[in-house]
Amino acid sequence: MKNKIRILRADRRWSQAELATRVGVSRNSINSIENGHFDPSLPLAFAIADAFACMIEEVFERDPPRSGAS
Amino acid sequence: MSSPALNRSRILALALVMLVPPIAIVAAIPWLRQQPEGLGVLLTGIAATLTVVSSIALAVLKDRQIDEWQRSNARFSSQWGWMVGAGMVALLLAVPAVRDLIVSSASVWGGVPNPDARLVVTTFTFGFMAVVVTQAICTMLLSLGWHVLMSRGSREPS
Repeated sequence: MKNKIRILRADRRWSQAELATRVGVSRNSINSIENGHFDPSLPLAFAIADAFACMIEEVFERDPPRSGAS
Repeated sequence: MSSPALNRSRILALALVMLVPPIAIVAAIPWLRQQPEGLGVLLTGIAATLTVVSSIALAVLKDRQIDEWQRSNARFSSQWGWMVGAGMVALLLAVPAVRDLIVSSASVWGGVPNPDARLVVTTFTFGFMAVVVTQAICTMLLSLGWHVLMSRGSREPS
């Protein structure tokens, strides 16, 4: 899942560690989510969006539907 | 006492309860050999129970402190670690040097000068198989239990 965490962080001059503290997870979690290696749960995705005072759709982009999926 | 300090104390106490019994049993082997067999089995069983229970409690305590990324890591590594470990034991049993090590260990720890090598390796293999089969059965039962628990409640009429 693509996301704009890096851009939103840069706008606010937040480090990964600072965002992690605000959301209540480890810095590794933020790094992994930011780089698209790990998809967060819905509660964590909402928590990240809340930290940026954004709608969840403004932070995360859904993946294109896989071929064959309805 | 603050919460992190309390957690550290709990983790330390549980780690001690986990590590001390097996070390004590190994250290007491010469004394245990002189005791009735029943006492040795009883003390070893108590030590194993303490170690297993404290390791589970430690895992539960640790699980409460980690986030979902770390939990994913733990799930991945424990799932694959168990499979790789079980496969490694099966492969290592085919290596003559490992079989010799098992037999010599049984000889030293069991206090038997010349044990039957085939009997020792067969017993070890059956013990290992018992663990693997029991774990597989428990995994299936827990999966069934989880399925039933999570599927309870009202459903849409079909």
